[in-house]
Amino acid sequence: MIGEAKARQLVGRVLARAPKGGDATVSVSSERRGNTRFARSEITSSADVDRQTLAVTVQFGKRSATATTNAFDDAALEDVVARAARMAKLAPESPEAMPALGKQSYVKAKASDAATAKLTPAARAKAAGAAIAAGDAAKLVIAGYYQHAITQLARASSAGLWAWHEATSASFSCTARTADASGSGWAETSSNRAADINAEALAKIAVDKATRSAKPKRLEPGRYTVILEPAAVVDLLGFLINALGARRADEGRSYFAKPGGGTRVGDKLFPDLVTLISDPTDAATEGAPFDGEGLPLAKTTWIDKGVLKGLTYGRYWAHKQSKKPTGTPNGWTLAGGKQTREDLIKGVTRGVLITRCWYLRDLDPQTILVTGLTRDGVFLIEKGQLAGPVNNFRFNESPIHMLAKCDAVAGQWISDSVRAPTLRTHEFNLASISEAV
Amino acid sequence: MSATMKLSRRSFLVGSSLAALAAPRLVSARGLLTDPKLDDIIKRALAAAKKAGASYADIRIVRHRRESISSREDRIERVSFSEEYGAGVRVLRGGAWGFAATPNVTLAEVERIARAAVEIAKANEKLLKRPVQLAPVAPNVDVWQTALTKDPFKIPLEDKAELLLAIDREAMKVKGVKFVNAYFAANAEWKLFASTDAAYIEQEIMRVGCGYSVTATDDKRGEFESRGSTFAPRQAGWEYIETAPLVAEARKIGEQAVEKLHAPSVEPGKRDVILDPSHLWLTIHESIGHPTELDRALGYEANFAGTSFATPDKLGKLRIAAPALTFYADKTTPGALATCGYDDDGVATQRWNLIDKGMFVAYQTTREQAGWVNEKASRGSCYADSYASFPFQRMPNVSLAPEAKEHSLEDIVAATDDGIIIVGNGSYSIDHQRFNFQFGGQAFWEVKKGKRTRMLKDVAYQANTIEFWNACDQLGGPASWQLYGSLSDGKGEPTQNNAVSHGCPAARFRKVNVLNTNRRTT
Repeated sequence: MIGEAKARQLVGRVLARAPKGGDATVSVSSERRGNTRFARSEITSSADVDRQTLAVTVQFGKRSATATTNAFDDAALEDVVARAARMAKLAPESPEAMPALGKQSYVKAKASDAATAKLTPAARAKAAGAAIAAGDAAKLVIAGYYQHAITQLARASSAGLWAWHEATSASFSCTARTADASGSGWAETSSNRAADINAEALAKIAVDKATRSAKPKRLEPGRYTVILEPAAVVDLLGFLINALGARRADEGRSYFAKPGGGTRVGDKLFPDLVTLISDPTDAATEGAPFDGEGLPLAKTTWIDKGVLKGLTYGRYWAHKQSKKPTGTPNGWTLAGGKQTREDLIKGVTRGVLITRCWYLRDLDPQTILVTGLTRDGVFLIEKGQLAGPVNNFRFNESPIHMLAKCDAVAGQWISDSVRAPTLRTHEFNLASISEAV
Repeated sequence: MSATMKLSRRSFLVGSSLAALAAPRLVSARGLLTDPKLDDIIKRALAAAKKAGASYADIRIVRHRRESISSREDRIERVSFSEEYGAGVRVLRGGAWGFAATPNVTLAEVERIARAAVEIAKANEKLLKRPVQLAPVAPNVDVWQTALTKDPFKIPLEDKAELLLAIDREAMKVKGVKFVNAYFAANAEWKLFASTDAAYIEQEIMRVGCGYSVTATDDKRGEFESRGSTFAPRQAGWEYIETAPLVAEARKIGEQAVEKLHAPSVEPGKRDVILDPSHLWLTIHESIGHPTELDRALGYEANFAGTSFATPDKLGKLRIAAPALTFYADKTTPGALATCGYDDDGVATQRWNLIDKGMFVAYQTTREQAGWVNEKASRGSCYADSYASFPFQRMPNVSLAPEAKEHSLEDIVAATDDGIIIVGNGSYSIDHQRFNFQFGGQAFWEVKKGKRTRMLKDVAYQANTIEFWNACDQLGGPASWQLYGSLSDGKGEPTQNNAVSHGCPAARFRKVNVLNTNRRTT
């Protein structure tokens, strides 16, 4: 790992080589990652890997270019700066060029955990072993993945920018399958602290789902009331978050554009229980105090009790529209409620419980319509109770519709680094049957 | 084409002891290697692994160079170059894998990662149920490189920028076109692979791609439609880009974006679909390529990419496609993205049938996997996307053979009473066992009574893999066969990238479930 002092030195060595008459922006990353994969109830591969990068953007007025290397010796620095400068001189002028970012102030965010950084292959093997043992006890086949990392990031420029952030991360996921391959269950979580992850407990959730999902009954496609567990909510929500860019809305090619001009900011699009925030100090959801450009991030409410409060602005578009740049937000949370998943199920006469989604793709950017499939645990709900496993479905649905028709949210869970609740929604389009288990 | 100069077993043995690894055995074969210090690094890494208790070890020293330029409308948006260099050591100890990697390719560091890899294997061997056994491999010593005449990294940046701006200008001339995005990318992958099974292989693979997407808008109605180009990325040099009709076609693509915006929305229902090779390759990739990966079929990817309907008990028994259809895997097709001389196990690449006359007959395998289906040798399908990535089974180029006699897409149209032609790739999604898929496209035309009539929009088809491939009743001939592909295909945890091509003729499928994807109309 490079550490802050050496990163500052490295940046100094790069900026000292920056060409006269030009601005330079420097980005440094250093990371150590460890992982263990398991499948067929044994460990299948495991790795400890170091990576580092140095990206240098040289800018002459409106011309700029970026060169990246992963070697930090003097010859490599000479080469990467010279290459960026040569390319920048050759690059056509960009009307959208912005000057190098100067000094910024950032929120304080402690995201690094020493124990997570030091996790050993033996500790990973122990966690995998606990998951495999949970499967063995139930005569199920276990597969999964445990990974952890420490990452250090620096952003700097010849205009005075200095940003430094160190974070750790860990995630564990586990799939349990019945021996006859008719049932499958899954569980996952992530945090910046490995201590927050209980491999055995996650494996038991996966085992329970697999056991209960065996030999599913056929359920016809159609529009159903559905309860989406947090992983499924996060899968769909990602498409909405990605569509929050102001530029596309202003250009008239986004759901958040208003027909005839303008955007939907200020409109009440969803019920009161829908609140979406980003928080750079929420380390468990990979919150970080600055984005890839070094722009400071602030805790922001994007959807407040159903009302769209704002859209994201990059530097150029903010300048053009006389707005403040928001940067690219991180540390996402969709608000939860006090009810439990079981409370939500009790309120359903006939519906479907969905564990997670798979292979989601855009269908229509205008409505953020997405296609995808259910996976690893789909259950029929009848008269307020789980009534047994059913087949998987392909769905064609929009996160806009999911939130607009949402009438209840339960407690939250972190999935794929987003904090989201179990959520109940209606008229969800389960379009065709998938035979996959 | 490529420089392939295999050394005989005898000449290899002259320098085969670890102490003599830097001997002149590569002098005649070496074409690319510039740093003789690497011989020493390799020798020390493999020796350190052995000393620490590895029964097998390999090292890959890999350099990736990537250049990309992107434009929108009248401006260049981004110019970038990146270089990544490092070494990864993979070991077996007690039948368990261990892997470690470093960006610092020094004697001390490669010895450290060799020992670290063995430590990882030690931590894992207790939980082993089926110790890894590698299929035998020839002691290959060779140099291989992409056949090309113009190194894209030596072409001036201005030429590449001007190409993109010329594409943008041409498309923007069309009334109704409001946005154009274009890109050019070149990726050079150099690697030196050596193993304790006597491999010593140097390869340089060059891949290039260029494409664009044109958007037409109707501000009054607040609607927009895009049409993307269908130019295939290839393993090639700049000569492939500069001779392609990219600019010449930009106006046509722009006109089709506008026509699509005003086209009628498709009427859903059972229709015949006529799939252009620019579309069909991705359907092959998803529904034939992925299910015939052996690790997936056995459950090794169950936690992420999923499993497969094509389980080993179905080998030789399952009819996946109509009898006229043969799909083959091939890492030797010139210009195809996954082509190379040797895979990342050091196994020489080859061509073999996966589906022969409609019947499922073989898998894609690595050295570790060959024994899982009682095969004696690997099919050579092992790949790692970086020095820091663990090598595992990745898809070779998987292609559909054409019909023997000539038969064009227009011949198929003439024989179709009620159908839809689909060109290019749109939205694509398939379930985790590869049964249920749904694909869109870039441009759609209605066919009525043997004639192409008008453009349509909001088209996707949804099908089950086996029903779909058995519903194929017309196949194009050799002249309609084209090679398409993707520079990015993800698999594994952590996810690794793979570039892969798929060749196919045009084909017709009967009575497929066509959907309307416009939520406003459904």
